[in-house]
This record gives sequence, structure tokens and C-alpha cells, in this order.
Amino acid sequence: MKILTPNKVDSFFQLLTQKWDVRLPIVLTDGTRVISSLGDGSIALHGGAVSSKPTAAFFPQHSSVFISVNGLIQEQTTPGLPIFVLGFTDRDLECLRFIDRFFANGLRDDIYFTLRSNAVVAGISGYCGVNGALLQPSSGNCDLEFFWDGCRWLIIPYSGAGNEIVADLPDSAPPEAIEAFKKASTALPDENEKILRQASELLRADRVPDSFWSEIGDRCISCTGCNLACPTCTCFGVQDWRSSKTIERSRMWDSCQLDGFMREASGHNPLGTEALRTRRRIHHKLAADPEKWGDISCFLCGRCDKACPTGIGILAVAKELVARFA
Amino acid sequence: MKRTLTVCPYCGTGCTFYLVSDNGRLVGVEPSTTHPVSRGGLCIKGWNAFAFVHHPDRLTTPLIRRDGLLQAASWDDALNLVVEKLKGLQKNYGTDAVMFASSAKATNEENYLLMKLARAVFSTNNIDHCARLCHSSTVTGLAETFGSGAMTNSISCFDQTDLILVIGSNTTEQHPLIGSRILNAVRSGTQLIVADNRRIRLARQADLHLRHKNGSDVALLHGIMHVIIAEDLAEEKFISSRTENYAALTESVAEWTPERAATITGLEATEIIAAARLFASAERAMIVYSMGITQHSHGVDNVRCIASLAMLTGNVGRPGTGVNPLRGQNNVQGGCDMGALPDLYSGYQKVSDPQLREKFASSWGLKSLPATPGLPLTRAMNAATEGQLKAMFIMGENPVISDPDQRHAVATLQNLELLVVQDIFLTETAALADIVLPAACYAEKDGTFTSTERRIQRLQKAVEPPGEARADWEIICRIAERAGYPGMRYSTTSEIMEEIATLTPIYGGINHERLDPHGLQWPCPDIDHPGTPLLHVDGFTRGLGRFSPVDHRLSAEQTDEAYPFVLTTGRTYFHWHTGSMTRRTHLLNREEPHSFIELHPDDAATLGVRNRDELLVSSRRGRLKTQARVTEMVIPGVVFMPFHFAEGAANTLTNNVLDPESSIPEFKVCAVQVEKLP
Ligand code: SF4
Ligand code: SF4
Repeated sequence: MKILTPNKVDSFFQLLTQKWDVRLPIVLTDGTRVISSLGDGSIALHGGAVSSKPTAAFFPQHSSVFISVNGLIQEQTTPGLPIFVLGFTDRDLECLRFIDRFFANGLRDDIYFTLRSNAVVAGISGYCGVNGALLQPSSGNCDLEFFWDGCRWLIIPYSGAGNEIVADLPDSAPPEAIEAFKKASTALPDENEKILRQASELLRADRVPDSFWSEIGDRCISCTGCNLACPTCTCFGVQDWRSSKTIERSRMWDSCQLDGFMREASGHNPLGTEALRTRRRIHHKLAADPEKWGDISCFLCGRCDKACPTGIGILAVAKELVARFA
Repeated sequence: MKRTLTVCPYCGTGCTFYLVSDNGRLVGVEPSTTHPVSRGGLCIKGWNAFAFVHHPDRLTTPLIRRDGLLQAASWDDALNLVVEKLKGLQKNYGTDAVMFASSAKATNEENYLLMKLARAVFSTNNIDHCARLCHSSTVTGLAETFGSGAMTNSISCFDQTDLILVIGSNTTEQHPLIGSRILNAVRSGTQLIVADNRRIRLARQADLHLRHKNGSDVALLHGIMHVIIAEDLAEEKFISSRTENYAALTESVAEWTPERAATITGLEATEIIAAARLFASAERAMIVYSMGITQHSHGVDNVRCIASLAMLTGNVGRPGTGVNPLRGQNNVQGGCDMGALPDLYSGYQKVSDPQLREKFASSWGLKSLPATPGLPLTRAMNAATEGQLKAMFIMGENPVISDPDQRHAVATLQNLELLVVQDIFLTETAALADIVLPAACYAEKDGTFTSTERRIQRLQKAVEPPGEARADWEIICRIAERAGYPGMRYSTTSEIMEEIATLTPIYGGINHERLDPHGLQWPCPDIDHPGTPLLHVDGFTRGLGRFSPVDHRLSAEQTDEAYPFVLTTGRTYFHWHTGSMTRRTHLLNREEPHSFIELHPDDAATLGVRNRDELLVSSRRGRLKTQARVTEMVIPGVVFMPFHFAEGAANTLTNNVLDPESSIPEFKVCAVQVEKLP
């Protein structure tokens, strides 16, 4: 276990930039906290999960697929420094695990893994949540983890790459700090997880009537925010931009809340109403994914509930559903 | 990776977000979590606002028409030609032979500069912008009744109100982050009346949905006011202490019994009575309206009635109340504030006032400025048809798609001796131009936008413009320079704002630094002023609120045997106006890829039409092909079309008849025939 004192934080990450494309929680000019590069704002490790999904480091909103000039596909430019990204909470790491598996499954997604393969992922935990609330330590499914014990960062490396990153830091965690970490690691029962499980069971038992979904769907303004904010949403659309000599193919985050997502070439749409689409979004995370992957693919990161302008993020809907049909 | 805080370029809600860029290319958008309006959310247009910026169709070099074709040219040649031709035409035909069209998509600084260019450099008041087509009725109607033509309250008021009357606004589609507030308010117990015959999303949540006939708003509002007065529900204290001319209102609505209003609106008298009682019973009631009220040949009258209803019930000057015209474009409020209007300088200061003329002239280093108000945009188009107007300089507008009666608009533009278009894409209008100037888009420049709640916010440059494209303000300054005017040299847009602040009392306390991070709401008269979330608190801007009674007038074109359907036009959620940006945004264009017409199932059955059948729609002005969308969104006898699509352009059909006072076209009512194509 390594130690990083608050006064060394800036210089530690500054030094890392020599070898890594460093991304970490920063606070932007208006107080929004996101994961971004050093220099884009001041480092803001405290404050809990950042508003934008940390998985965007590997699956950005928009990325190039290929460029062809005069009919010839251009070689992709050599990749820059490998990515170091700090800021995954325990829940975010679960999300990352889920999409790592998804993108590796079957036809491995090479665009994702170009960024992901050599990256170092750092978790964040400890008493650095909103107003010092505890963020649950991870189960070790990252390269290293930054744990705030109230006075300093304890850094726990889990992989070779993680070890390499903190090799030069002092190795002298006091016993009470280690104790704090152990205590924090004993999982607390989470009321929201219980609700999500209950909602999942209700859906799988087909106990939720269509009228519920019309009611919820009537409140969806199709902003797509729930999908775009979600770290386990992996759908993308593909576009081609053509000019006289070049074709630029790129992909961008898509959303199953959109009519065009499932519209058939005939114009017919099997998911032609917000009610059906909202049902599908929630059903996919809580009923379909558990069947395919053995996991509910919502890890309660809270982002869709914050992004949804009309209060129908997944937890809000799960709560309503459980209150009415359990 | 870089993140630049900026303002959404689409609607007037004024959400802010960060543009995410990597190596000079935009790769995404991240909402601001602290912004008081967007609060971590955005609508789909905001989420995709980065996606058109690097499109290969962007204009990258000036173009000059040679041998009938637009050909690449240097900035020097293009700008010299612009100045030479404009001056030449003015010499031959008088200074008022040219018209400048500014843009509600451009910044405050750019609108101010274009109006300065027109007035100071080219000595004409012929300057206007697309507010003429959307809220000119509001500017006229509310200036007369309240003394200020802007939204009286703030968006946060939706969280503090007991009742919301939405009339002629499809808020969840056109101001989505205001619509979502309304949905949330309703969930927490706020009552909702929707007066709109389309079954918009808000209508599904409404306590009362009034599906009155198109163009019958005056009758509806008169009926409601009649009931309020007859049942003694009016707010007497407010009326006697804060308003004038009430007797005239009572007289004018006296005959508008709910039964009479019912015959004209097509509603039941009981619906009108219920609406009146519900509205009057609310302690705090907000009225929200938009184009459904303004875009009529009696648009100003509609606005007057709305102002009267608010005053009659004492719903002005308190949180959770007010008359709230939702301004459509991101900066249409600012375009008006900056005096891109034929009769007003920035801050609604009258051109006809000699003292104000003197103030602007001396600040701009001139002996005098033209005194007679210029032409409104819509009348300028008519003047061009008739040959009095010879040249138009259009910045960031696309009248070929957005103006009523497309055939007339195209013929008019072709009739000009000079058409200059400054834009980011080669729009349908730019394609007709003699000279095209390539502009930077919102992501490529600095400045400010003013949202519908009068919130002035900073736009910040995230990436460089493509090729030789330049910010509108830089182009305008270079034109002024070439025309021999030395008074338009600025190195930054904040210097322009400093000048605006000295000349514009409502912006007196504005400078760019003060606007971080979430802007200020005007009036903001001095540097210590915190801005004004609520207007007319202790008194109206004009002193007493004025009841302005109106007479009921029918829409200009009525249905008949040859044209039996009422056509009403508008927008969809996924596109913006003439589509130059949204139709080049993959997800948005995938959602609504082509022109369509909404048709009630009963009408569809009569015509033997099924969903997605191809239809021929014709009016007295023209005809087009479009796709049927059979839906109960519309009432029988009424069809709806969005105007975004160049192929199947709704404005081929619309009627170029204008409100006599505001010169707004009647986009909301015309008569058409609908036929199934074999
Ligand atoms: S965030 Fe909410 S309103 Fe937006 S698409 Fe998702 S469910 Fe609909
Ligand atoms: S609501 Fe308006 S301002 Fe907000 S993101 Fe949507 S288009 Fe932009």
C-alpha cells in the first residue's frame, strides 16, 4: 500500500504525463466535475462520481472508423501515449467490466480495444464522496485504487502496470489507515440495489402492465440523455461523410429511446412509441442482460437519473415500479 | 482533450454545455451540471450540437458568381465587390435600396455590428432579422401593453407556480428543457391547461386540453375573460392599482359569452367556462406561448389578449406568474435587444427619437443617422418584388425555405440586382447569391447569446473555423473598413460588448467577465447590478399596464371546396428551422429524414390514404409531394407540416399575408387540398 499526501498530488500526476495520457477528475469553470486532461481545470478528486461516464475514455461519443482518400483506406495515425484514467468508482468499475466483456465478445471491437488495451485504470474510493461520504472500495478489478482515508490517499496497486505507476511513492501506510480501508471494504447493504433486484424480478415475471409504460413513456422527451450518460450503454450509430475525394466513416453514441433506432426500412417500427422504447430500455438492463450475461447491467452509478430532465432514470422508474407492483 | 463551456446553438432555452475537442476536432458534448436551466440535462439537439461542425459541406472560401456559376474567390475580391456594388446601387437608387438581414443565430455582438453597419456605414435603417417571422407580434403587443416585449418571468418560475396555461407552444419539442420543467411541475401538483388543437405531449398530462380551431385564439381568450369578469373572478385590486383602460376591455369582451366564443372556436361553452374558472382560481398562474399565438395576421391582437388575461387575474410581477413568450432561436431575444430591427437601436431605443439618434451618431463618430424607420424583412421582400429594393445582404438566414410562399420568395431574391449571403453552408438561399461569404459557426467563435429568459451568456470558441471561414463579426468589420468607415475596429468581441453597454441602458452593466459562469438577466443597468429575473414587479416598464382591447378577425384565408383543409406549419423536435445544421447531423436526420404531413385518421379514411402514402398537397400558391402521417395529433379538417425540408417544403404552400402592425406572416393558417398520388 502506497501513500500520496495532498501536497504531492499535483506533482505526482504531472510527472505521470511523461509516459501517459493522464485523465482524472477535474472541476471545470462552472463547477461541473468530469474526467479530463490535466490543465483543462483543477484536479478535483473529491466529490464522488464524476458527471460524465469514465468509460468514455475508451468509447467516446464520436470516433473515427476509417478515412478513405481516392478509394484507399488511410492507415490510422500511430496512437498517442497510452491512457491513464483515474476516477472509476466501485460501481463505475463494474460498468467497465461489463462493457469490456461486451466489446470482447464475438467480433472483438478493435476501435474500443485500441484505446483500452494498454490503458491503466485507477479506481477511486474512501471518504471522498459528496461531503466526505464513503465511496465503497472496489473488489480489485482495476490496475490500482486511490483510497482517501480522510488525510491522505492510500494507493493499492493490483496489477503490474499499477505497481509501475506508484513504484516511486513511499510505502508506509500507518496501521489506522489500513484499518480504515478494511472497514470501508466491508460492504454495506444498499437499499437501492434491493429495489433494482426487485424491479428486475417483477419484469422477468411479467408483472408490469403496458399501462405503466405508457405513463412513463409519456414523460420521455427523447433527449437520449439516459443512454448517453450510461456507462454500460454500448450502442452506436455509423455515419459516412462524403466529399469529392474522401469518405470519412465515424461512429457516435446512439440511443434506444429514439424512434429511428429500431425503425425498419419500410418505415414500420416495432418500437414505435416512447412507451415501448422506455420499456425496452429498462427491460434490457434489468431483464435481458441478466439472462444473457448473468448481471443486471445497471450498477447504480446514478448518471441517467441525473441526466433525465423528467425524472425517469432507471432508479426512479425501478422505485415507482416496485412501489406499485411488488 | 479540451472542454469549452459554451451555449447551445439551437433553441432559446439557453442550456449550456461543454464542447469536448481532441486535436482541434469536436468529439462530443458534456452538459453543465451547475447551470440553472439545463441542470445536467440537454435535449437531443444539444447532445448532438457538435456533430455538424466539421461536415465536409462547410463553406471554406468566399464565392463570387462568374459566368452564372459560384466560383472560389479571395476575401479581398469578394469584400471589395460587396462594398462596390452596395455603394453603387445606393448611388443609383438611394440609400434605402439595400436591405440587411441579420440573424438570431448570430451573437449579440454580431447583431449589434450588422445594425451599426447598416445605419452608420450604409446610412439606412433597412435592417431586420428573423424575429420578424417569429415574435414580432410579441415585441409589438407587449411593448404596447407592458412596455417591454420580453418574457416577464424566469424559467425557474415553472417550479413555483400553481397553474400553467400553454397556448400555441409545443414546449416539450421546441423548448425541451422548459417542457420538461412543465412535466415535472405537473407531477408535483401544478395544474396545466393546454390550448392547442394538436395533441402535443403536454396535452396528455393536461387537466384541460382545449382543441380550439386554428386562428380562433382571440375568440377563446375573449370567452375566458368574459367568464372571469361575469363571475367576478377578476383581480380588482391589481387592476385598479396597476393598470389602465380596463373599462374598454370589459366593454370589448361583454358580448363574448362562452356560447358565442364556442361557435367560433369549435369548443363547448362548458370547456371555456371550466378553463376560465380554473385559470382564475390559481394563486399564481403562468401563461406560456409561442408561434401558435404570434404567426397570424392578427398575431399582435392575440398577444394583446394574453397580456389582458394576465393583468385581469393579477398574474404579473410575481414569481410563478407572468406572460412568457418562449423565444425560438438561441439568440432571437438578443437579435431584438441589439436593434437588428428597422425602427429600433439596441435596447429598444427608437430611431425616430432625435435625441437617441444624436446619441448613437455621436458615439459612432457621425454627424447624423437616418431618421425614418426602415423596412421590416417581410415587407422588404415585397419591396424587392416590386423593384424598389435592389440589394440584400443576408447573414445566416435562409428565406428560400423559411419565408412564406416559396415561389414568391425565390422570384424576389432572383429579382435583386445584388444578393450577398454570409453563412456556414451553401444553403438554398446562398445558392442564389451573387457573392457568398463563408462564416464561422457557433463553436468557432466568441461572443454572447441572450436566452428567452433574458439571460445573457457567453459563447466561447472551441475549435478553429474551416479553411478561410471567419466569424461574422470579423467579416462585418472588414466590410466597414473597406467602405471607409474607421469606427469598427475591435480586437475581441468583449470590446464590442463594452461599446454595446455604453449605448444600451438594459445592457449597461454587462461585460464578458461578469457573465461567467451562468450569465446575467437584463435589465442590468450598471456594473454592480445583479440582473433582473422578474420584470414589472412594482410597476410595469411603461408605468401602468394597459388593457388593449381588440376586435375579432378571421384568418386571411378560409377553406373552401377547392382547398378544404386548414394547413398549419411548424417544426419537429429533431430539426432546426431550414435544417442546414440538423439535416447534416446523423442522428437527427435519421429521426426525421423527410417531409411529412399529419392527417387525422378520419380524413385519411375519406381520402383512402394510409400511413406513409405519398400525397400531393396544393394551395393557391403552389404544390408539393410529401408523405402521409396518419395521426390523432391533429383534429379532422386540419393538417400539419414542418417547414424544415427543402424537398416537400411547407412554405411552398403558405400564405404571404402579414399582420398589419408586426408584419409577421400567417404561417399558422392557410387553405390546402390534399390528394393521394396514384
Ligand atoms: S433521459 Fe429521460 S427524457 Fe431523456 S430519453 Fe432518457 S428517459 Fe427519455
Ligand atoms: S432545450 Fe434548447 S437550448 Fe437546451 S439543449 Fe435543447 S435545443 Fe439546446
